Amino acid sequence: MRATVLLSAGRHPVSGRASPVAVEMQAIRLAIDLGATPSGLHAGEAASAAQDALGHGLSRLVLLEGATDDPLPALLDHLRRLPPDLLLAGRRGQGGSDSGLLPYQLAHGLGWPIVADVVRLTRSGGKLIAEQALPRGARRVVTLSLPCIVTVHPAALPALPFRLAGLQGEVRSVPVAPTPATSQPELRPYRMRPKVVERSAGGGSVLVGVSAEQAASAILSELRRLKMLAG
Amino acid sequence: MTEPNSRLRRDPRAERDRLLVPGAARLRLDRAGTTGTPSASPVPPAAIPRMRRVAAPAFLVLAVLDVTSGVLSAHDRQLLGAAHVLAGEAGAVVVLAPPGLAGLETAGADRVLTSAPSDGYDPDGKAAAVMTAIASLDPRHVLFAESADGGDLARRVAASGHFPLAAGIEALGANFAVRPCSAGRFEERAAPARLLSVAPDRIGGYAGLPCEALALPETPWPPGCPFAATIRSGDPSQLPLTEAAFVVAAGDGLTDFDMFARLVTALGATPGASRVLCDAGLMPRDRQVGASGSVLAAECYVAVGISGAPQHLAGITGVPHVIAVNTDLHAAMVARAGLAVIADAQDVMRALLAQLSA
Repeated sequence: MRATVLLSAGRHPVSGRASPVAVEMQAIRLAIDLGATPSGLHAGEAASAAQDALGHGLSRLVLLEGATDDPLPALLDHLRRLPPDLLLAGRRGQGGSDSGLLPYQLAHGLGWPIVADVVRLTRSGGKLIAEQALPRGARRVVTLSLPCIVTVHPAALPALPFRLAGLQGEVRSVPVAPTPATSQPELRPYRMRPKVVERSAGGGSVLVGVSAEQAASAILSELRRLKMLAG
Repeated sequence: MTEPNSRLRRDPRAERDRLLVPGAARLRLDRAGTTGTPSASPVPPAAIPRMRRVAAPAFLVLAVLDVTSGVLSAHDRQLLGAAHVLAGEAGAVVVLAPPGLAGLETAGADRVLTSAPSDGYDPDGKAAAVMTAIASLDPRHVLFAESADGGDLARRVAASGHFPLAAGIEALGANFAVRPCSAGRFEERAAPARLLSVAPDRIGGYAGLPCEALALPETPWPPGCPFAATIRSGDPSQLPLTEAAFVVAAGDGLTDFDMFARLVTALGATPGASRVLCDAGLMPRDRQVGASGSVLAAECYVAVGISGAPQHLAGITGVPHVIAVNTDLHAAMVARAGLAVIADAQDVMRALLAQLSA
């Protein structure tokens, strides 16, 4: 099974230095656990973060050099020529626009199904069974046909530890035609804004001097009203 | 009397006489105007609009609600608040929602477009339904919730319609939208894109007059190709506290930890603890609630034997429903709770277990 992991030009959220993106390294592990030998694919200039990914278990790395502003045409062209069975990506990039839109654009361009926020992958026959993370710890188990795209959620198993020897893996550079520069939006240093919190002021009912049984039934009826109990 | 520049001239003595309360033994001025003459142009009560009506909207803003559990969530209300920021007075807010959703008028829906979802997990079919709604209404902006399924839907629609998407909006005005980028070190400020997804708890809900929620013709749900999918709910006892919906937490008033564990299992809740218990090694550190532990996003919190130090209450500011069991009537947690029981924690836990097993 050929698995390809999309690598972005990651930046560390604190230091701002080029560093691999955690969810993409977790994606490499998901592919290895599936029995594949994943290769990496990166389009763009800053490749030092992508090269570090070799140390986390990638067998080889393909760099599409020259696609600086819009990596989509170069990636689509490459994936159409050498289509993998499974394409993995992080749920959001870290260091660029961070919109998480690129895997969906690739899925639309290639006509492949896409499932987001995957934490576990298994194979059953010719199908891929992806476990998708939902809020409140729930999981949705989705059956997919190959080829397909999955994006990886941070709740997946942690990345394999870094091996320095892995950095000697094969790196292949493919020159691509540069894309025209698009207009850059106005960037400012991030400012943390306060979250909207709808406070409840309290001041509810207070039960004083009741027996433990009465207190328990009051608590249970309140929990049933809030639909917190199954019964 | 006017000055040469025709501005009305103040007469401080006449103003003071108007504020003078008659019959008082000493000088009393009523500055609030409760007993004086009524204001110059009283608004008759009938003239106050009781409802927001947009008869002929200049443009439309479509909000695709992320109704996960059959009711409007707080995130859905924030989505409508953001839609009203973009719509203003001239535009109208259209919601795309499953049929039979209650409370849309007060949440801020000017128009309602219903679309019955197909069975199963069919994100591409839902994206196609949104594309149909965009084609028929031609809205200026389309808003999505940046949640697990809402964010996925926004990206599917953006990719299939080649629309620009501003993902994870954290601040919004009529002519700007701000979203974080570059690993959260920078933020992007631009004019609102055609498609926006709104981050949770960043933009307040709609707080204006009730809207009319006029029904538009139903959008057909195009037959997609749903994935074969099953949902498995999480084990509440293993959930991280930040993800849990229902937390039962123990404090220093608790002595019987075995009974506490049985109660948490019987209630189907996630266990939590105060700092005192975690410091003493009686509960694991990852169960600590509060400023130095986890800040909860739960729906309901039951505090057993927790007095409620400010650092602990900081962890439950976002919890709407709090139940407290404490022996101290004057504990801060009792003041914070919606229902408080003044009793010993062990007795109440024993009675709860007995009633749950009955």
